[in-house]
Amino acid sequence: MATNKASRGVGGWFLLVFAIILVILGLILAAGGIWLVTLGGSWYYLIAGLGLIISGGLMARDLLTGVWVYFLVLLGTLIWALWEVGLSPWELLPRVFGYIVLGVIVLALLPTLKRRQATI
Amino acid sequence: MFTSLRVLAYVVSLSLATHAVAQNAEGETEVPEEPTSSEAQTPTFSATPQPSDDPAPGDWAAWGRESGASRHSPLDEITPDNVSQLEVAWIYRTGDMPEEEGQGKYAPETTPLKVGDNLYLCSAMNVMVSLDARTGEEQWRHDPEVDPGAIPYSASCRGVTYYEVPDAADDQLCATRIIEGTLDARLIAVDAQTGELCQGFGDGGTVDLWAGIGEKVPGWYSVTSPPVVVQGVLVTGAQVKDGQAEDAPSGVIRGYDVVTGELEWAWDMGNPNLDGLPPEGETYTRGTPNMWTTASSDEELGYVYLPMGNSSVDYWGGNRSEEENEFSTSLVAIDVNTGEPVWHFQTVHYDVWDYDLGSQPTLVDFPRDDGSTVPAIILPSKQGDIYVLNRETGESLFPVEEVEAPTGGVEPDNLSPTQPRSGYHSLAFPNLEEKDMWGMTPIDQLWCRIQFRRASYKGMYTPPTVDQRFIQYPGYNGGNDWGSTAVDAERGIIIANYNDIPNFNRLIPREEAEERNLRPIYAGDDNTDSDTDGPAEGAGDPQVGAPYAIDVNAGWRAPVTGMPCTAPPYGGIRAIDLASGETLWDEPLGTARKNGPFGIPSHMPFKIGTPNNGGPLLTASGLIFIAAATDDLIRAIDTETGEVLWNDVLPAGGQANPITYEANGRQYVVIGAGGHHFMETPIGDYVIAYALPEDGN
Repeated sequence: MATNKASRGVGGWFLLVFAIILVILGLILAAGGIWLVTLGGSWYYLIAGLGLIISGGLMARDLLTGVWVYFLVLLGTLIWALWEVGLSPWELLPRVFGYIVLGVIVLALLPTLKRRQATI
Repeated sequence: MFTSLRVLAYVVSLSLATHAVAQNAEGETEVPEEPTSSEAQTPTFSATPQPSDDPAPGDWAAWGRESGASRHSPLDEITPDNVSQLEVAWIYRTGDMPEEEGQGKYAPETTPLKVGDNLYLCSAMNVMVSLDARTGEEQWRHDPEVDPGAIPYSASCRGVTYYEVPDAADDQLCATRIIEGTLDARLIAVDAQTGELCQGFGDGGTVDLWAGIGEKVPGWYSVTSPPVVVQGVLVTGAQVKDGQAEDAPSGVIRGYDVVTGELEWAWDMGNPNLDGLPPEGETYTRGTPNMWTTASSDEELGYVYLPMGNSSVDYWGGNRSEEENEFSTSLVAIDVNTGEPVWHFQTVHYDVWDYDLGSQPTLVDFPRDDGSTVPAIILPSKQGDIYVLNRETGESLFPVEEVEAPTGGVEPDNLSPTQPRSGYHSLAFPNLEEKDMWGMTPIDQLWCRIQFRRASYKGMYTPPTVDQRFIQYPGYNGGNDWGSTAVDAERGIIIANYNDIPNFNRLIPREEAEERNLRPIYAGDDNTDSDTDGPAEGAGDPQVGAPYAIDVNAGWRAPVTGMPCTAPPYGGIRAIDLASGETLWDEPLGTARKNGPFGIPSHMPFKIGTPNNGGPLLTASGLIFIAAATDDLIRAIDTETGEVLWNDVLPAGGQANPITYEANGRQYVVIGAGGHHFMETPIGDYVIAYALPEDGN
């Protein structure tokens, strides 16, 4: 662990901050998702929120699996969104756009993550 | 297309012209002879039809072009092929911009008239203006000096009324006259040629509409729509500012001699025996349904068609009288010879949703299968239902179903068990579902989904509730509102723009209303914060006298982002086959260029379909002109396809109905770009004319 901390460069810090943001977003979605479920609404937000918490948690521990979990959430979101609203662009916007932006960041962090996982 | 130099040049030249006119008016003291009342009482209407009943092809002689309100012009110089060449012909500025007290309350909504070579219009604060129809140069103005304290919900003047006194000599003062109703509840008549007050009309050109209304509370009782003239009777209602108190000014409808300004009759639904002024010390029945929008009329029948609003107060009805429940939110046909209702047709029973009739109905000879026609009237509503009624009898030409309505809320025993539904056409969409909730991100979308699940929602006519929010869909902005629809009887087509947005409401218990210090207008506080746009109608209205106040979240927008909780489109425009009521095409109206999260314009040119306020016009050449949307564009749309063929950026919001006319052989399209505080578009004082480039230039 000592070597890990010593070698955390800009990329490493960015990865950690991003992972924490994912966890926070996941907590918000999961908390709101529980509320929505208790009101008889969609289960999607709770599940997606838990997915983001797990994904962020794994990435914070420099585990590549976090990336796979993230893209699983993204894939599931896409399928759910298409099921819910079809190809309506304005309605896909809130459902998918944010995940794609975060997905691009995940991909950009992939080399850092790979490097750091190798040093664990 | 706007060059600031050009605008500046106009402003300078016009302000000089204004100055000159004002001096003339001051110097003029003589009172030339005016036509007498006996002339007007002679029923010469059929022999000499008013321009408003049968306008010249190049004119726009009444608010809806003619008394029948087709909003359809026979002009065809501007066509789908050449419309892309339209350019600004002239720009006029009224000079009427909000000062301190009017900030956040302006929504001029002005539509000019064009008769002969002249345009006639009014500004937000009721300044009456005549322009040269060819150049936009000001010819005269009359400023009735309305105090800004008289501004009700909005400073609006949708238009003026033109009248020619039959058999009057042309050079007689006020032989042709322009009449308006004002925010401070006056009828004012001026000479159409000079702008001088018609001394023989009322008291020196003015009739005080406060007579018989009761205690004068500025801003509570205001006229914002042009009165109409039927067989020499000038008919007006008034806006009664919503949500203040059960004990509100009366919705009385009054008919005046258009020449003398004398009261001919009053229709007070709560006191049918009263035909004139109430006895000294009494008032017309308070709190009754009113008419704030524009009526249409049939000169031959002598009927005026009044789209009535709701009783005071809007969201609670426990103490409404039988008559109020009979006439509220109904189209009422009144015979102007008697001042009595001939028939009425109700579009909402026991309206506790502010579903006032806002649209001006349109007269049409309705085609039947056997080739004959029926004298009909087309009535759009805020719920989106469009009715076609026989205008002689009020009977619907299509089935009107009484469908079961939801129950519950705070007055379940009073609600109507059924509500009417038109078998002809509805602009409304299916009920909202959780998945219709929207946002920019999953987080605000989730927030809106939670709100949806927490609220009471049972589809259209969800009863008002106090323990939780209730969703009202469509909201009080329509469906169709005061912009009304346009009808081309020759092509057999109705053009209707509409809103598709819910409101998110809650009744407020009286104690909570006290805590929030919600006070009625007569307490000297209208709850507005002058630094910002005035609150939406109903956003904390006290409803004094009812057990509950009301809180309306108009357009149901999320906090922080200000984004709507429901997905776009928020408004559209639709072509409807006149004979069958079937949809021919349906397109979103308005782009996203001026809208975005946190109130930041997105500059996205995509057609998103925005909220809209204002109506369309149609031309014989197959064009629709409409602004109305919150993108500050005026556009020309192909009547056949719904395709946008041309647009131009307005310097302020285009929340007004455009007109088209011909002057000197050239067709013009004119729109008032005045903006609208509630629609959150930039406020302006522009009147802008478009035309094709002149030959040889």
